[in-house]
Amino acid sequence: MLYNHQDLKVLKDEIEFVDTALVPFASADMNEGARDNASDMEMIQMVTIQLEKQFKGRLFITPPMMTVEGMTEVLRTYISQLEAYGFKRVIILTHLDHSFESAQSIVLNRIPLEDMDVEMKMSLINDEVKNVMKQVISIWNQRD
Amino acid sequence: MSQKVTRRQFLNYSLMGVGSFMAAGIILPMGRFALDPLFQDQAEGSMITTSVKAEEITEEPVKVDFSFDQQDAWYESEVTDFAWVYRDGEEIIALSPVCKHLGCTVTWAGDDANPNRFFCPCHNGMYEKNGQNVPGTPPRGPLDQFEVGTSDGYVTIGERFANEII
Repeated sequence: MLYNHQDLKVLKDEIEFVDTALVPFASADMNEGARDNASDMEMIQMVTIQLEKQFKGRLFITPPMMTVEGMTEVLRTYISQLEAYGFKRVIILTHLDHSFESAQSIVLNRIPLEDMDVEMKMSLINDEVKNVMKQVISIWNQRD
Repeated sequence: MSQKVTRRQFLNYSLMGVGSFMAAGIILPMGRFALDPLFQDQAEGSMITTSVKAEEITEEPVKVDFSFDQQDAWYESEVTDFAWVYRDGEEIIALSPVCKHLGCTVTWAGDDANPNRFFCPCHNGMYEKNGQNVPGTPPRGPLDQFEVGTSDGYVTIGERFANEII
């Protein structure tokens, strides 16, 4: 499910089945690291699109949360909002190193995608997606 | 004695020649425009050719990818989807991988305990090989089917429709 009108309408009735929210989380700092941040963001987008296709019925992908200078207040507030809405699990999909009390993080590998041709890029992203899928399934199995 | 072409005859012939070119130049495009709807219909509802040979399809369902252009408001993009394709006697059957519960992607033999069923990892939904949903699991209906054909020995995939083999 995505954060759009149609899906949110379904989500309201199916919150029992769609029990996991996934928050893409990246940095938007405009400094020397800006290009790396942009690559991170691009990769997170590609991974979430694939992930949504596979787990549409159980995973709710929220709009990406951004951080500036490592601030996480907005994200923390958002996590508690998601829990209040009824999600049993909240997963943070990120390249960054932060830990949260009530949400589990899935940390992606950094891949230098900008120098690759499309096919290579696709296959590396697909590997990463499989990796993330495994982690999501293991999170689902943890408390069941 | 060779017959001499008079100035009047020469002008007549060349005028007729040029005139017929001009007439053809006007009438041919008009004729093509008039016939165009006939050609158009064939292009609609066309089947998408995949890169999998029909003879390679066995009774074990395999993933067959196909790409098509999708229009999303003013943004057009190429989308790759896939179908589960297997052979049932002479017939080739293609099932949609979209779970009828909440739309996850189902896998063939994804659950070790059920090697001959489609399995949905989200809520442990299950389908028989013909797409029939297994009672007692979350899905509310059978998997959709795709129109299938062959073109030059390759599998082609067409429109999606509700399951008809059950």
